[in-house]
Amino acid sequence: MTKLSSAPRPLSLLCELTYRCNLQCPYCYNPLDLRSYRDELTTGQWTRVLQQAADLGVVQAHFSGGEPTLRPDLVALVEAAAACGLYTNLITQGTFLDDVLLDRLVRGGLDHVQISIQAPQAALADRIAGAVVHDKKLEALRRVLSRDVALTLNCVLHRLNHDSIEDVIDYAQRLEIRRLELANVQFYGWAYRNRTALMPTLEQVRHGEQVVAAARERLRGAMEIVYVLPDYFGDFPKPCMNGWGRQFVTVTPNGYALPCPAAAGITTLTFENVRDRSLGEIWHDSASFVRYRGTDWMPEPCRSCDRRELDWGGCRCQAFLITGDAGVTDPACSLSPDHASLASLREGVSEPVYRRA
Amino acid sequence: MKPTALPRFGKGVKLRHDGNGSVMLLIPEGALVLNASAAAALELVDGTRPLAEIVTAVAERFDVSVDHARGDILELFARLEQRGLIAPFDCAQGDKAE
Repeated sequence: MTKLSSAPRPLSLLCELTYRCNLQCPYCYNPLDLRSYRDELTTGQWTRVLQQAADLGVVQAHFSGGEPTLRPDLVALVEAAAACGLYTNLITQGTFLDDVLLDRLVRGGLDHVQISIQAPQAALADRIAGAVVHDKKLEALRRVLSRDVALTLNCVLHRLNHDSIEDVIDYAQRLEIRRLELANVQFYGWAYRNRTALMPTLEQVRHGEQVVAAARERLRGAMEIVYVLPDYFGDFPKPCMNGWGRQFVTVTPNGYALPCPAAAGITTLTFENVRDRSLGEIWHDSASFVRYRGTDWMPEPCRSCDRRELDWGGCRCQAFLITGDAGVTDPACSLSPDHASLASLREGVSEPVYRRA
Repeated sequence: MKPTALPRFGKGVKLRHDGNGSVMLLIPEGALVLNASAAAALELVDGTRPLAEIVTAVAERFDVSVDHARGDILELFARLEQRGLIAPFDCAQGDKAE
């Protein structure tokens, strides 16, 4: 790898192939203005991005969206990634993952599939998804389990399904799923719009922690449970992306390279497009990637904090959403002067607005 | 894991060698950077080589006692086995699907 700058090496490329989706989950982190993303990259452009990512040192490519299986060239892109030596991961809701597509993907070199369910009960799941799809997902899960490809079951947790957390674990256990991700909703895009409908109660959060701790103990060696903490409830912020422009790069359906999948929401930054410059150039010296890289940009209380290289100041997108300034300490941190305004967002109840692609 | 076990990787687990000599274990949604002895042991994992043979080979390569190598390898393999990343041949994940 040619060293162009002091930038660290990215390990992971998130390819958001399309924001189109047949589901309408109110917790989706995709942007609200989905129409701006219809000018999608071509197969050739994605193939070039995958090669540039591999040259940059990336080792894993994640295909997500929206619903990535809506792209007719998904198999070709998995093959292209595998040909560059990249580990390939498909993040899907599974409703189009039939035998033919799955076999083509596995033959093309797919290493891992993550399938999400909205809840363990069909009625609730379909209500959250805004479509009758739960049974189809179960078929897709069984199909993946029977192939030579790794599987993670994912369920995003929020107020509407948090009380079913034990049932999600039972559901995974009945299917003998090896890896389960229980991810508390992250408030970006549609989820931020719907935050008062989705915010779990403190009681739900505490109960969830106990259930996960007990299940990890009980299922040790049989199931790995990844638990994404709710970030409006802790004392310290999440180490978002393990630091801005440090390990992760996202490319949106229309070709913008972002340090974080939610970064397009930061309207004070200008992002560059892989149609105009190579991924390597953007990673190393675009203003948007350099802006919050490392620790030099940090204001107090981050600047002098012992945790500054543990959580990297938290999430820039969250700081911007809540304070209007992406360059301040994440308000999720109890040391942030803006922490009170985040705490106030935990209040209030409303009905969700369903996303439309 | 017994000395006669035939360790193999779980689904979606791959070793990756970089040009600069570093070795990583690529796993679902992550990567583990390996030190030289861990890499040497995992390079020998193929589902046909018994654990005892892997231990002997690593001990020779790093000029350490077999006991020393065995301790390190058993600890590494136990951690990976707990996460489903490696398994003894006879009860590996996915066996029943085959």
